[in-house]
Amino acid sequence: MKSTASKAGRADEHAGQPDDKVIEVKDSEGRNAPEAPEEQTATFSAVPSGDADPGSAEDGATPGAEASAEDGVKPGEETSAEQDANAATGSGPLAAPVMTTAEPEADSPETPARAKDAVVTDPEAQVPSPDPAVVSPGPEAASPGAEVTAPEAPIAPPESATARSEASATGPEDPSPEPEVHGPRAALTGPEDAAAGPVSTVTAPEPASLFEPKVHQPSTNELTTDQAMDEQATDDGTTDDQATDDQTTDDQATDPQATDEQTTDDQTTDDQTTAGQARDEDGAADPATGDGSTNDGSADGPTAPEAGPGEAGPAGDGDGASPAGEGEGSLFRAVRPVRPAEPVREVPLPKPVSRALTAALTGLKHSVTGLRLGLDVPGVEEARKAQVEILAQLDDYVIPRVHMSTAPALVVIAGSTGAGKSTLVNTLAAAKVSATGVRRPTTGTPVLACHPDDREWFAKSDVLGGMVRVARPGPDSSLDTLVLAASERLPPGLALLDTPDIDSVVESHHEIAHRMLDAADLWVFVTTATRYADAPAWNLLRLAKERGARLAIVLSRVPVRSREVVEKHFARMLQEYGLGEVERFVVNESKVTGGRLPDEDVAELRMWLTELSVDDQRRAQAIQATLDGVLNSFRSRLPALARHLEAQVAFRAELRTDVDAAYMGALAEIDRATSDGSILRGEVLARWQDFAGSGDMMRTLHLRRPGRAASKTGQQAPARLRAFKAALRAGLESVIISAGQRAAEEAVARWRQRAGVGDGLAAAPGLGRSSEELPRRAARTVAAWQEHVVALIRSGGVAKRSVAKVVAFDEEALALVFMVGLLGYGNSDIAASSGTGTLPERLLRGVLGAESLRAIGTRARTDLRARVSVLFDEETLRYVQVLDEAGIPDEAASKRLYQATYNLEVSR
Amino acid sequence: MTVSGARAGAVDTRSDLGVRLTALARVVELGPGRVDPALITDASRLLMRAGDRLKLSGDHTVVALAGGTGSGKSSLFNRISGLELSPTGVRRPTTARTHACVWGLDGAGPLLDWLQVQWRHRFARASALDRGESQLHGLILLDLPDHDSIRAITDHEADRLIEIADVIVWVLDPQKYADAATHTRYVAELAGHEAVTVFALNQADRLAPEELAECVVDLSDLLKREGVQQPRIVPTSATTGRGVNSLKSVLAESVVNRRAAVHRLQADLDRVMGRLTKVMPAPEAMSVQQSVDLARQEGLTDALCDAVGVPAVGEAMENVYGARSIAWVGWPFARWAARLRPDPLNSLRLGGLRDEIKAVTAASVSAQPAEVENAVQALADGLTPGMPEAWRDGVRDAARSNLARLPQVISEDVGEVAPPLDRVPGWWRALKIWQYLLVALFVAGLAWAVAIVVYGVMGVGQEPADLLGDVSALPWLGLMTVSVLGVGLLSAIASRNFVVLGANRERERLERDMRRRIAAIAKEQVVQPVEQELRRYNEFFAALTAARR
Repeated sequence: MKSTASKAGRADEHAGQPDDKVIEVKDSEGRNAPEAPEEQTATFSAVPSGDADPGSAEDGATPGAEASAEDGVKPGEETSAEQDANAATGSGPLAAPVMTTAEPEADSPETPARAKDAVVTDPEAQVPSPDPAVVSPGPEAASPGAEVTAPEAPIAPPESATARSEASATGPEDPSPEPEVHGPRAALTGPEDAAAGPVSTVTAPEPASLFEPKVHQPSTNELTTDQAMDEQATDDGTTDDQATDDQTTDDQATDPQATDEQTTDDQTTDDQTTAGQARDEDGAADPATGDGSTNDGSADGPTAPEAGPGEAGPAGDGDGASPAGEGEGSLFRAVRPVRPAEPVREVPLPKPVSRALTAALTGLKHSVTGLRLGLDVPGVEEARKAQVEILAQLDDYVIPRVHMSTAPALVVIAGSTGAGKSTLVNTLAAAKVSATGVRRPTTGTPVLACHPDDREWFAKSDVLGGMVRVARPGPDSSLDTLVLAASERLPPGLALLDTPDIDSVVESHHEIAHRMLDAADLWVFVTTATRYADAPAWNLLRLAKERGARLAIVLSRVPVRSREVVEKHFARMLQEYGLGEVERFVVNESKVTGGRLPDEDVAELRMWLTELSVDDQRRAQAIQATLDGVLNSFRSRLPALARHLEAQVAFRAELRTDVDAAYMGALAEIDRATSDGSILRGEVLARWQDFAGSGDMMRTLHLRRPGRAASKTGQQAPARLRAFKAALRAGLESVIISAGQRAAEEAVARWRQRAGVGDGLAAAPGLGRSSEELPRRAARTVAAWQEHVVALIRSGGVAKRSVAKVVAFDEEALALVFMVGLLGYGNSDIAASSGTGTLPERLLRGVLGAESLRAIGTRARTDLRARVSVLFDEETLRYVQVLDEAGIPDEAASKRLYQATYNLEVSR
Repeated sequence: MTVSGARAGAVDTRSDLGVRLTALARVVELGPGRVDPALITDASRLLMRAGDRLKLSGDHTVVALAGGTGSGKSSLFNRISGLELSPTGVRRPTTARTHACVWGLDGAGPLLDWLQVQWRHRFARASALDRGESQLHGLILLDLPDHDSIRAITDHEADRLIEIADVIVWVLDPQKYADAATHTRYVAELAGHEAVTVFALNQADRLAPEELAECVVDLSDLLKREGVQQPRIVPTSATTGRGVNSLKSVLAESVVNRRAAVHRLQADLDRVMGRLTKVMPAPEAMSVQQSVDLARQEGLTDALCDAVGVPAVGEAMENVYGARSIAWVGWPFARWAARLRPDPLNSLRLGGLRDEIKAVTAASVSAQPAEVENAVQALADGLTPGMPEAWRDGVRDAARSNLARLPQVISEDVGEVAPPLDRVPGWWRALKIWQYLLVALFVAGLAWAVAIVVYGVMGVGQEPADLLGDVSALPWLGLMTVSVLGVGLLSAIASRNFVVLGANRERERLERDMRRRIAAIAKEQVVQPVEQELRRYNEFFAALTAARR
């Protein structure tokens, strides 16, 4: 009803007013603010202008002129608006059906509960003042329209009521409110402002100026439906105010505007619900729709349902534009007792948004989780730390926060040891929730202090989910425990987290403090008069800046007499550091009793916190800003991590290349040694001389004669033959072994040259020498090769039939001669070659034929190389294994990470 | 302790320090390439610093007030000196340059120059003016800039002076006494410097007495955990002056003893030695022998002999001689008979190869490079177990120092003793003549017998000589001819045996000669460089032990 009413009101206003003002405002707003506020402002300012000076229509009929002009045509006529709506169905249907369908879906779950509130609220609201009457006209007014807007009427009212109740909840929040205190503060908040509406001319300028910076942000925030309403309500209030100021029109209109706004929001939200995610990013989009609908309602007039309320509204608004403000003001008070019943509002994001974002974050988490950064490439420490941080932050903060963006804000108090963090928390909580003392570091277990109503939420929440909740720090409380303490004095919706220090000798404290900060919605950094120039403090501030976290700085323990100097100096340092805009609080050094400071010392800070608590919009902004900051920081942190992964992968490839190069060198060396005859020295030479010189070689050949066993003569000197064969094998083996050893040394040397990185790997035992099995493997390899050569000779020997007829030969012996020839007899210093070739060559050519010999030669050489390659591959495996054990991400890891980053950006 | 006694003690510790520093210098000299360069650099910097400091005034003790920003170093400095010399303030950081105050200026100038304290920041206290402060005569008090503010990130003044001051007074305060900036970077690093470190818990006036006591206990525990065995903690208050006199007396003790500089250097030396020892665990390393023992040398020689193929050369020589001797000393008839057999080479039209095969034996002995390398490698591997990696590589490299030309050297040297296999001894020739003589004799006898048969028996004609026709001589002649054959056969067999015997003896001689030569080469080319490296190794560890004391 209210929404209908307000919608109608707006419609009416638009319709009823020649509100060129609106357009004018729109323009002016549009320049400095993003589209979203612009539109809203336009809508809302319409109301005041309408109410205040209906005559000032001529002022600025610039761009939106058509609409306003049309509006202007039908001032205050419900029916005309309706007709318009009907008339302009061309555009109407687009928006209207969406709304009608969407609204029930999205809001119905909540509305029942809220509706109750609303029910409670309304009567109460009616009681305190005649203003309720102003509120009620809404519904009443709606009823006339209800004939037309049958479908919407039942749904809308509860909702708007909720909105209303929420809005009021945001108002004077404290259970024990001190009107005096609240008064001034109230000036800061939208609803309050609205409450102050009647006195508008006086109050309006202030709030307006206070809110000015915010006008830019408001609807960019993603918000759950309810909050959206709240926020927008407040926002709009703000906008309104400003608009009003700008126009110097009546503030009495503020309330209706606020309501209007809510309506708009409702619509918007509904639309968005179906529209899916991107509500925030498309801040432009939703106000646009909202606006569209508003415009439709007012000017073109959407379909009947829409237009109905549109008509209904004017009644209410028309009746009590100004009283409405009071009505709301009174509503706050009325609602206040209701609020604790629902201390924490966990309203998930519209499902698709949440789902997409959650999916993106989960994907991100997966791609970060499994990473192993095993190589000590420069920067690996940072990368490992970044990985742990990102994971912890995702778990502790981002994922829970995306799920429940309206959850109570977590204010993390961080700072140096002895800065008085615990004392501050105690003072704010007005109870000794955290131990204080002269021992440094004092706090070892983080303490979370919150309002009793929020306690349950924090007890089971996913925020800092990995930490064990305890009621009080026990002797066994480690750094993974979180002490939960509740205090009535703390404003609801905010929790203070007292962290361990960031700079004491206990390094685990730093880690836990950073983990807490990663989960924070708001950072309160505490430093002292003696510490404000400490390097760790500034490192933390830099981190906050990088993360884009919402930050407040408390300069604590400031001696009264030097306060001015220190404050100024600190302010200047902050300025130089680009943190001049950050909110600062100064706490004097004073006597600490019972772990607490005198209350007046922290009054300013308490007030600030309370404001945050009261003002859902600001809090949500703060939360959102920090969340955005964190998500933004992923934009650079994840690619940085991915780059490091790439570096690791690239480095692994380089290390692998080193090994391969070393062993390639060894292969080349073996090739050389097996072709230049250097093997044919020492024992091999002696055995060759023995074999050849003693006539055995000649005896391997014999003429075939019938009746004589061919193999008989071959066995005449098996001992010498065997010895020669063994010598040849030993020679080859030693060449392979020495090359393998050289290669191992070379590989390790190459690794060591890789600036410090390979060192750790190269230190793996045994890498600097060839493996234990190499000699055995080499022996097997060479023996196998020899067998292979014999087989080749045997099969190749068949080729030359003409010889085979006359001469028989011992393949084994001939194979040895062949090997001698192959291993570079011609190049060795023992060769006495005549023009036609070396001795083995000529002999073999004679026996086997030139072609066959060539083929066998090629095959034997290739086979030897292949066998040695296999052998060295096995050697290489040891290095690969070391590399694998070091744990290096695969090539796809960085791509996955980039993809995850991209997905996250897309889903935001 | 009297001053003179203290001085005598100081001389003792001084000379002791000198000995240790000399040993360290030796370590630094021998270390490069074997020890982490950073460590060597640190050690040589310590040597430089020690040299400088010991040259400069030993009558002065440099005491530095160090600490975080805002702990009250300057205030304490002013309190101790009794003058407002160093500006104090509430802005952080306050002090940017080091201030010095000297009690007893004589001879302090060079020291202050060395400390690089600017002239305008030097102040002198004429101790004569201060009654009761004569004890502080010789004190140079430094007020350092802080080490933990954002300014200190780029300015290492404090670090520099903390490294070279004789005594460090850590000025802590109840707020900052547990800062990682102080403890992790300095105090824990300087563990073992108890004698030259004092902790002043400043701003004690900010705490209630019981709080102060708790604070001191906590600080003391913290320091003990960090390895400071007996921390000297003096609670002070620069504001009220409380505890300043206690601090002064603690300082006075160091000043009067005149030992702080030496103590400081000793502590630094201990620290460097601790790090060195960690990298080079000495006791285990000392078990490495100084020289290459005989068994290993034998092993190396054996391996090198194998690389040359000494046994094979011997065998080949024996076999080849045996085979070749047949051509010289063998019974010609047997040879001729063998020649009648068909030759496969000829049937392959490869008759020319026969000479080449003979030529094969002409080649001299040589060493196989890969086997030589493996032999040397085995020696190095056998020597190095238990050695630190760097030294292991050192020994290996030393063993390989001559590897490139080792095979060549061995081949040439051994080649001198190894006889060419195609050598023909003189007695072979003589025997050959004898064999042919016998053949001639046989032929002559045969001819004679034929003549007798022809002339004497058959009476074909008139015999040219009586002898040719004397039939009665025929049996004798037959007997003689047969015995000539027998003698030839016997001499062939006998000389063959002689050849084998001679070859056997030759082989033994050859092997002995070759082995002796190879052993000599191994000693000169491999063992000596290795022993040199081993000596360096032992010397290094001896110096290390000496420096460690």
